[in-house]
Amino acid sequence: MDGRQPIPNMSGSLAVHSIEVTTRDLEGLPDARGDSVRSMLAADHDMTVGTVRVSLGYLVKAEMSQEEVARAVYDLFADPVIEHGSKDGRLLDSPEVFPTPPMVAIQVGFKPGVTDNAGQAGLDGLTTLFPHLGGQTQVATTQTYMFWDLPEGTEPAILASALHNPMIERCAIAGEDDCAAARWPSLGFPDRPPAVFAKPAVVDLEVSDEALEEISETGLLALNLNEMHAIQAHYRDPGVRGAREDLGLPAAAPTDAELECLAQTWSEHCSHKIFAARINHKDNETGESSTIDSLFKTHIMSPTLDIQKQVDWLLSVFHDNSGVIAWNDDWSLCMKAETHNSPSALDPFGGAITGIVGVNRDILGTGLGARPIANTDVFCFGPPDYSGDLPAGLFHPSRVFRGVHAGVRAGGNESGIPTVNGAMVFDERYIGKPLVYCGTVGIMPRHLADGRESHDKTPEPGDVIYMVGGRVGSDGIHGATFSSLELTEESPSSAVQIGDPITQKKMIDMIIEARDEGLIQVITDNGAGGLSSSVGEMAELTEGADIDLSVVPLKQPGLSPWEILVSESQERMTVGVRPGDCEAFEDLAELHEVEATAIGSFTDSGAFVVRFDDTPVAHLPISFLHDGCPQLQLESEWTPPENEPLSTPKTDAGGMGDVLRRLMARPNVASKEAWVRSYDHEVIAQSVIKPFCGVGHDAPGDAAVIAPLHGGTQGAVISNGIAPRYSDIDAYSMAAACVDEALRNAVCVGVDLDMIAGLDNFCWPDSVESEKTPDGRYKLAQLVRANRAIDDVCRAYRLPCISGKDSMKNDVTMHGEKISVPPTILFSLIGNHKDVRMAVSSDFKHPGDHIYLLGETHQELGASELAYMFRDECSGGIGGEVPRINPQRNLTMYRALTSAMSQGLVSSAHDCSDGGLAVAVAECCFGSGTGASVDISTLESDCSHLDEWGALFGESMGRILVSVAPEHSDSFFAAMEGNACSRLGSVEDGDTIKVNYSGKEVLRASMRELKQAWKGSLGGDA
Amino acid sequence: MSNPKVAVISGFGINCELETMAAFEMAGASAHRIHVNRLVNGDSNLEDYQIMAVPGGFSFGDHLGSGRLMGNRLRFGLREQVREFVKAGKPVIGICNGFQVLVKMGLLPGDSEVSLTQTASLALNDSGHYENRWAVLEFDPDSPCIWTKGINRMRVPVRHGEGKFVTDDPTLLDQWAESGQLAARYVDPSTEYPGVSDEVLPYPVSPNQSWRNIAGVCDPSGLVFGLMPHPEANHSTWLGATWTREDTEHGEGEGMAIFHNAVEYAASRM
Repeated sequence: MDGRQPIPNMSGSLAVHSIEVTTRDLEGLPDARGDSVRSMLAADHDMTVGTVRVSLGYLVKAEMSQEEVARAVYDLFADPVIEHGSKDGRLLDSPEVFPTPPMVAIQVGFKPGVTDNAGQAGLDGLTTLFPHLGGQTQVATTQTYMFWDLPEGTEPAILASALHNPMIERCAIAGEDDCAAARWPSLGFPDRPPAVFAKPAVVDLEVSDEALEEISETGLLALNLNEMHAIQAHYRDPGVRGAREDLGLPAAAPTDAELECLAQTWSEHCSHKIFAARINHKDNETGESSTIDSLFKTHIMSPTLDIQKQVDWLLSVFHDNSGVIAWNDDWSLCMKAETHNSPSALDPFGGAITGIVGVNRDILGTGLGARPIANTDVFCFGPPDYSGDLPAGLFHPSRVFRGVHAGVRAGGNESGIPTVNGAMVFDERYIGKPLVYCGTVGIMPRHLADGRESHDKTPEPGDVIYMVGGRVGSDGIHGATFSSLELTEESPSSAVQIGDPITQKKMIDMIIEARDEGLIQVITDNGAGGLSSSVGEMAELTEGADIDLSVVPLKQPGLSPWEILVSESQERMTVGVRPGDCEAFEDLAELHEVEATAIGSFTDSGAFVVRFDDTPVAHLPISFLHDGCPQLQLESEWTPPENEPLSTPKTDAGGMGDVLRRLMARPNVASKEAWVRSYDHEVIAQSVIKPFCGVGHDAPGDAAVIAPLHGGTQGAVISNGIAPRYSDIDAYSMAAACVDEALRNAVCVGVDLDMIAGLDNFCWPDSVESEKTPDGRYKLAQLVRANRAIDDVCRAYRLPCISGKDSMKNDVTMHGEKISVPPTILFSLIGNHKDVRMAVSSDFKHPGDHIYLLGETHQELGASELAYMFRDECSGGIGGEVPRINPQRNLTMYRALTSAMSQGLVSSAHDCSDGGLAVAVAECCFGSGTGASVDISTLESDCSHLDEWGALFGESMGRILVSVAPEHSDSFFAAMEGNACSRLGSVEDGDTIKVNYSGKEVLRASMRELKQAWKGSLGGDA
Repeated sequence: MSNPKVAVISGFGINCELETMAAFEMAGASAHRIHVNRLVNGDSNLEDYQIMAVPGGFSFGDHLGSGRLMGNRLRFGLREQVREFVKAGKPVIGICNGFQVLVKMGLLPGDSEVSLTQTASLALNDSGHYENRWAVLEFDPDSPCIWTKGINRMRVPVRHGEGKFVTDDPTLLDQWAESGQLAARYVDPSTEYPGVSDEVLPYPVSPNQSWRNIAGVCDPSGLVFGLMPHPEANHSTWLGATWTREDTEHGEGEGMAIFHNAVEYAASRM
C-alpha cells in the first residue's frame, strides 16, 4: 500500500553512494559519541584509550544524480551547523577534518537482514526530499570509531570485539599500518542473500520414535515424543485424512507449515505446559504425597475466580493479552509483564528493545485496543564487577547490563511511554541467562461510542483479517520454540531481532484512532509464533479463519510459506475489521503511513486454513490446534536444603556502621540513579510519585503513582516485588516475599487496598527431571511451593492475579558447563489511588519528626543480603531462618496505615526489604539530607532471641518505616492501635545516624559516607 | 471572548501531544490534535488556528539528528503554510523535540523574513546520553517573547539527549542576547533573582552543558518560542519533583504560566 517501501534485492544494479558525517571541531563542542565510547571502554573493559572520534556512515542505494546526493548531505544526513558531511569520499582523507591519521579505525555495520532503524529513517528522509525515488531505494548505516593515542600493545581486534556483536554486526578493522597507508575500513552494502522459495513440503511421521524425536530436534520444534505421537495420531484419523484429501493437502502427513504451526502453538512459551501438567508431589518434610492437576488452574486461577465473585472491578482475567480492571465508571486499566531472556543473552540491546516494545503490543492488543501509558522494567544480571570464569560465548554481565539498559531506554523513550518503576537484582547465576522483565500498563475507555465494552473482542465470521505495521522477514523465525529450549553455543541468530519503536508508535497512534472510530472487531499482537499464533488464537473466537500468505508484505522476496506463517518479525498487529469498515480502516493507515494488508477472513468452518495463492498450505482443526497437546506428567519431591549457617563478626558501633556502609554499596542495595535517570519517567505528564524523591531528587521511591487523566486526582499505583535469594532456603518464602514486597511498596504510597491486582511472572530453571537436569524433582517442588505461596498470600490480601507469564528454561549450557538461574518470581501490582494529592513519598521530611517501625521484627537473617555479603567476604554461609509471612496480620496493619495516610497523618513511608531496617533508615535520611537517632530496644517481636543483627539487618516481611510530624504523633499512634507499631526515635539535624540497643550504642555512621558508598558502586556513566 | 484554537501537531513519533493539549485546554484554549499529513493533504489548514504547537517526542526516532526529519517534513512539505502562520503574527511553540524541529527547520532563532535558514543546533548532551531530571529556568525580563512575559523562574523537567544549544557563529549569540532572544536559561536555584550567567554552569544545574546555559530561544518577533524543558509536564502541583516536601495549595503547576501567556495573547487579538 505504501509505495515508498523498498523491495530489497531488486536493487542490485543501483549505485551505492557513501555519505559520512562527523562532529565539527568547534570550541565547547565535544564529540560526545567518541567520549561515550571512551568511558564505556574504561568502565566495562578496563581499557584506557586516548582520543576517540566517531563518524556515521550512510550507504545509499538509489537512483540519484550527483547534485541530488550533494544536496542530501546537508539537507538530510549532516547538520549544517555542527557537523561535517562528505559524499563519495572518506572524511579520514580530509586533513581539515582529521589533521592526523588515527592509530586504529574500526567500522561496524549491521549484517544483512538485521533491522537498521537509522537506515529506515534515512530512507524516509530521502523520499521527503526526492519524492521521485523508487521503491528499490535502500539505506544502510555504519559507524566508524577512530582512535588516537592508544596505549602501546592495544590489540585492534580486542577493541573491535568490544564495539560490535558478531551475531548481528559486521566489522572492518584498519590497524596502525593500514591507517598510516590511508587504507580505511570499508564495509560494503549489506545485501541480503536471496531467499529460496520452497513449496510446502510433506513431513512423513510414519517413522520410528527415534526419527520422530530427531524431526523435532533438527527442526527446532521443541516437541517431546508424546506430543509427536499425538500429532502422528491426528494424521492417522480417517476423518482427518478424508477432509485433507478434499482440500488437496497430503492426506496422511502434515505439511511443514502445519508442523511448525503446531510446534509454535504447543510450545512451552505459548501453551505453558509445565503449569498445565499433572504433578505427583512428594514432601519428605511433612510426608505429603499428592497430585496436582495444573498448578495454574489450582493455585493462580482459582483464587482469582473466587475473588471475582466478591468484587465488581475484575473485567477480564487471564484470557486476553493483559488483565483488565475497571478503574472507574469511564476508564479501565490493564497490565502485562513479560520476559525476553534468551534474546537478551545473545544480543542484549536487541533482545531488550524487542521485549519492551513487544509487551507494549500486548496492551495494544487487549480488548479492542488499549493505550500503553507506563512501563516497568526489572532486570536480573550477573554482578557487574564479576571477575570469575566466564564460559566462552557469554558476554560479561556489565556488557549485558549496558546493552539491556540501552535497549529498554530506547524502546520506552522513543515510544513515549514513561518507565515509572523497576528494580535490578544481581546474582552470579544470572550470568548465563539474564532475566529481562518488561511490564506495561494501559488505559482504555470502558465503552466505545458505539456502545461496545472495549475489553471484549467481538469478531464475527466474515470479518476481514488485516496484518498491520511492519513487514515479514526471515528475522525472528523460531523465537517461541527457541525460548522453550536451553541456550547453547548453537542457538540461532535468526531468533534475535531489533525492535523498531517508531514504526510501532505510528501503528499505535493509528490503532487507537481506529478503535475510537469503532473500526476494530478484534485485535491481537504478532509476537511469539507470528501469524500462526495471532490468527490461530483469534480463530478460536469465531471457530475458523482462512488466510492467503501470498499477499503478506515481505522484507525480502522468496520466503517460503511456513516461514511467513511463523516469522516473528516485530511491530505487527493482526486486526479483524468488518467488510464495510475496510475502506475507513485503510484510509487511516495511509494517513499514518502504516502498512495494512488484508490477508484473509474469519470463518466458522472449524478450521484454520492457510493458503499460498491457490496452493493449500495448512488445514488445522481449531480444536486440535488448541486442545490437542497432551498433558505432561511430572514428578516433584521436596527435601529442605541444607545451608551453612550465617556467621556474624564481633564488632563495635563504628564497625557496625562500616557493615552498613558495605551493605549500601552492594549492587542489590546501591543506588541505580545513573541508569534510571536515562529512562523518561515523566512523559504523558502524569507521574506523581516518581522513581526519585527527596531534597536532592536522588532518594529511592517505593511504588509509582500516576494520575493518568490530566487535571484529575484519581491515581494508579504500580509496584514490583522480587526476592530470588530466599529460593536458596525455601521458594515458598521467596514467592510470599515477592507478593508482600509489591503490596508493601504500594501501601507506602497510599494505595486503595480495595482495588489491587497482581501479575505473576515466573522465571525458573529447567524443572523436568532428565539426564541434563538430575535435580528436576527438587526444582519442580520449588515451583509447587512457590505456587502455593502465591495462592495463600493473594487470597489473604484479596489480591487477584489478572495476568501472568512463565519462562521455564532459564538454563545455559556452554561447552559442557551448565548455569541455571535461581527460581525467580517478579510479582507486579497495579492498584487504585483515591486521591494522588494524599500520596506519600519515602524521604524523611523534617528534623524532629518521629520515626516509627510498623510490623514485627524476627531473627530472620537466612538468605538475607547481609548473609550473602558475609559469605562473599568469605565468612560463613547463608543459612538461618528465612522470613515467614503472616498475611492476615500484615493486611490489618496496611489498612490502618493507609487510613492514617488518607487523614494526612503520615510524612513519609518506606518499605524494609533488602538489608532490613538499617538500610531503610539510611535511605530515608538520604532523602532529607539529615541524620537520625534510633533505639531498637522497643522493637516488637514475638521471638525471644532477636539480637542487634536481626533487628538491624533482618528482612522480616510486613514492615514499613514511617515518619510522622510531632503534632500528629499521638493521633498516628492511636490510629495504629492493635498493630505492631514501635516508636524508634527521631529525624535529626546533622550527618549522624546512630542506633541504640538496651542503653548501648550499637551502630554509628555518617549519612554522607553511607550515601557516597550507596551512589558510588553502580554510579558509572550510563 | 472566544477560545483560541490551538493546532497541536502529531504523528511520526511525537508523543507529548496529549499533555500539551491538556495544558492549553487548562489555560482556556481549544486544542486540536492535527497529524502532519492532514496539513499536507489539505484535510486541515493552519489558517484556521490561532496558535501552533510542536510537542515533544521522538519524531522519526531522532535518527539523523533529533528533529531533523520532522523539520524537513515541515520545511519542504508545509513551507508556505508555516511561513504564512508566522508572518500573520500567530504564536508558535516547540517543546523539546518540537524545539529541535523548529531549530533544524530554521524557524528558531530565525530572522524577520522567516527565511527558514538553520543558524543554530541542538547537539548531544555532553554526558552523551538521554536524561530525565528537574531543572530551574530563569527568563529574560527584557525579551520580546510573548510566552515568557512576567515569569521569573520556573521548575520543569528536562527529558532529552540532544539539548546542548550551539551555533557555529559566536557573534550570533551576542546578537540574540542583545535582542532578547535567549529567553530561557538554566539557573542555579541557590542564587538570588536575577541570577543567570553566561558561564556554563556545572552539571547537572545545566543538564546538557548548553552554551550560555540556553534552555530556550524566541524569534525576533517574540512570537515563536522553543525550549528543551517541558513546562506542560508541570501542569498540576502534584507533578512537581518535591511537592511531597512542600506545604502546597494544590492546583495549577508552575508550567502553566507559559500557556496562559500565549492563550491570553491570542485571545486579545481575536
